[in-house]
Amino acid sequence: MKISITVNGRLHEADVAPTTRLVDLLRNGLGLTSVKEGCSEGECGACTVIVDGKAVTSCTTLAFQMDGKSVTTLEGIAEETLHPLQQAFIDHDAVQCGFCTPGMILSAKALLDANPHPTRDEVCRALEGNLCRCTGYLPIVEAVLDGAERLSRS
Amino acid sequence: MSDLRYVGRDIARNDIVQKVSGQMRYLADLRPGGTCHARLLLSPVAHGRVKAIDGTEAAKVPGFIRLFTAEDSPRRRYNSALFLPDQQDLKDQPVFTDRPLFVGDMIGAVLAETDEAARRAAALVRVDIEPFEAVTDPVTALSAPSFRDGFPQIVEGRLSCGEGAAPREGHAELTTTVRTPKIHHAAMENHICRSHLDYDDVLVVQSPCQMIFTVRFVLSELFDRPINRVRVIKAPMGGTFGGKQEVMIEPACALMTLATGLPVQLNLDRNETINATRTRAASVGTVRTVVDGEGYFLHRETDVVVDAGAYATGGHRVAMAMGKKLFRLYRIPSQTFRTRTTFTNTTPSGACRGYGSPQIHAITEIHIDLLARKLALDPAVLRLKNLVEPGDLDPTGAPPLGNARIKDCLLKGMEHFRWNERIAAEPGDGRYRRAVGLACATHGNGYFGSPYPDFLSMAIRLCEDGTLLVNAGLHELGNGTLTVVAQITGEVLGLDPSRIVVTEGDTQTAPFDVGCVASRVTYVCGACAYEAAEKLKTLFRDQIAEATGKDAEGIELDGEVRFDDGKRLSYGDAVCLIAKVLRQEVGIYHNYAPKANPASFGVHFAEVEVDCLTGLSRVTDFLAVHDVGKAINPRLLKGQIYGGVQMGLGMALSEELAYDRSGRPKNDRFSRYPLVNAPDMPPVDVLLIEEHEPGGPYGAKSIGEICTVPTAAAVVNAVNRALVTELTELPLTPERIIAALAERESNKTGRGGQEQVMFSRTTGDSH
Ligand code: FES
Ligand code: FES
Repeated sequence: MKISITVNGRLHEADVAPTTRLVDLLRNGLGLTSVKEGCSEGECGACTVIVDGKAVTSCTTLAFQMDGKSVTTLEGIAEETLHPLQQAFIDHDAVQCGFCTPGMILSAKALLDANPHPTRDEVCRALEGNLCRCTGYLPIVEAVLDGAERLSRS
Repeated sequence: MSDLRYVGRDIARNDIVQKVSGQMRYLADLRPGGTCHARLLLSPVAHGRVKAIDGTEAAKVPGFIRLFTAEDSPRRRYNSALFLPDQQDLKDQPVFTDRPLFVGDMIGAVLAETDEAARRAAALVRVDIEPFEAVTDPVTALSAPSFRDGFPQIVEGRLSCGEGAAPREGHAELTTTVRTPKIHHAAMENHICRSHLDYDDVLVVQSPCQMIFTVRFVLSELFDRPINRVRVIKAPMGGTFGGKQEVMIEPACALMTLATGLPVQLNLDRNETINATRTRAASVGTVRTVVDGEGYFLHRETDVVVDAGAYATGGHRVAMAMGKKLFRLYRIPSQTFRTRTTFTNTTPSGACRGYGSPQIHAITEIHIDLLARKLALDPAVLRLKNLVEPGDLDPTGAPPLGNARIKDCLLKGMEHFRWNERIAAEPGDGRYRRAVGLACATHGNGYFGSPYPDFLSMAIRLCEDGTLLVNAGLHELGNGTLTVVAQITGEVLGLDPSRIVVTEGDTQTAPFDVGCVASRVTYVCGACAYEAAEKLKTLFRDQIAEATGKDAEGIELDGEVRFDDGKRLSYGDAVCLIAKVLRQEVGIYHNYAPKANPASFGVHFAEVEVDCLTGLSRVTDFLAVHDVGKAINPRLLKGQIYGGVQMGLGMALSEELAYDRSGRPKNDRFSRYPLVNAPDMPPVDVLLIEEHEPGGPYGAKSIGEICTVPTAAAVVNAVNRALVTELTELPLTPERIIAALAERESNKTGRGGQEQVMFSRTTGDSH
């Protein structure tokens, strides 16, 4: 099946099988390996990407469904300098092994794009589908709250 | 030591920019192409015999290369925890088996040109298995007929001290049995490995592992290859927690490379990682403690059955490690420990953060709270009477406890958590009950004093531009090991850690190191780095003196070379000068073996709220107090604690790998294995006791494992206090809580006043 999909601002024409998952297209087809796979059933959030503004698990999304849509991966959120959220993740040490990090940052970004001043509870709920076994989440939640501050200042 | 520049500071971890920008290349992220892909064939039955494997249909899949079965497996069996030839643990595990002993046992693999082809072909392999009866419960396993083809069904171990004590007038005693669950490590990255044959017939294996030299040793023995023709390289790692500590899928991957000469990548899915690798060992422990009239411990007996799963692995080491902790937290004049490691048709257990400590502390610390209840004592007060003191010896003859600051942890924590006030508060009698609980814990700092030799070497060199290369066999697990070693060497040499590169392990280039395990990295490897840097500094100073003809005494090394006449030289220029004049490198090789193995300590305080209607428990407040000697990097250290608390909360409340009667796993995917997520986390306050541990770099000792050790017991103690229950089977799922409440209700109506006498000193005994 032929689809056209915008990934990180660039339009791609792709020929995908009906069973090809979005995660496979992104990782294998486009080399966007920031997208991780941890459970393959929509439970861990490691494969989270943003589709038309919403955080989506790319392991449970079929590539053909993305025809005409716009997808953002972690590769697409920073240009010359790091995104304020990424800097906040660094400053709060919200990263240990780093495997959950791309999905975490994208879930957080989708939240902040829709709700620039979230409460702590809202942050926790926005991240509830992203598992992290290393950090205990607390530094991540701090980083997202701080990232919101930084974004509203910039 | 207030003038430290890098140690004690929140330096950002070395790889964090890569990680937040998605540039970190884990093994699965290497560009596709150039390698073949393998998928495992795992046993669908918990116990059986493979009668036939038919790969006819699989072979028709385009890209199919080869099917591997038990026939391709070397005759030799291995034990995944061994790292030196003299170690005696049972070698009972084959690479591929035709006698599967658990669901997930590797019966073969399919190799294909792409991962997709490997998956499709694997799904088409027809396996005919005759199923046998399975044993899934460790206590039943003690008397069940062995399924292990001649290997023993029980491995026993004992430890003891003192003379034994018969209860006398005024003495009280209590016996409690606690069950802890089998747990999945749940590193977010699944298991993965790559192997290929390189120049000069060297087998190269890339693996996100914790012990490159163990992997090397096991592979060399299994495949009968000289050790120097096996090269194991630590790959970037998306978490381990012990799950990637033992040799795991490397033998299967290497076997396929050796058989075909092809480069092979072997990936596991989550379901396979849960079933086919390792788990935290389940345990069933019974403790009996005798106390005198004032609450001082006189005697304790602990008997623990440890579930090794289907293969020996490091299972019995875990059991013995449990026992050792019993002698290092409280002063108990007479104590016995017996363990029986037994085998079930379930996923093998092995190393898992704490190496048995979370289990044994759950067993004893829940018991101590019930004992305090029986004695009508505040559980903190009962502990304070009995805790060890700085300088105490281990009564079994194991290494002394060092600067043991557990009492400081408890006293400061009580104050900070407002313990006295909160323990006095009533849990309430409505739908929601609230109470606090605490638990104490100890853990080690390496292997010194154990049967396993503890040593390592590092080679460190100043480069021509003044940057520093620390060549070590380390493994970054995500906990900040490389950053901490850079801080230590940087402190000694006056170099900013950003100018230091600390290497990860590569058996062909790194000096020997037993591995990033056993809570030994900061205390042992950090001390090696400290000494190595001091040695380099002395050498460098002498070399500069010789090359410049100046007096070594008048040379200061402080990030640059300062002469007493006011002249300065950059490190890089000095290295080049030494190269030209002396024709020497500025580098040393340093071997280090620790001479102590002090104890690290921690106390966790939890507040819980239990919903009596749904049985759901929520941890609403948490304090972790840790005796760490010195925080080399406080922010990284706190990160360890937050993560450790999170794992412990899962052990207390939700995580359990359960099996049905036939041995089929009930929770072998994340959708059926409830992990703690962001909304579940309570606020966690951290208090550090930094009183300097002799022998550690800048006085530091371990944190990565101890921080998850007391958590589960603290939470269970809080729940038992909130509900006035005696819950001792972990995890405290809503079902178990509801059942306990119902039982308490029926006791109340059936035998009036039971709840009252549970607090008395004469009844409520459960033995
Ligand atoms: S891999 Fe997609 S949610 Fe886990
Ligand atoms: S940092 Fe390791 S899983 Fe989140």
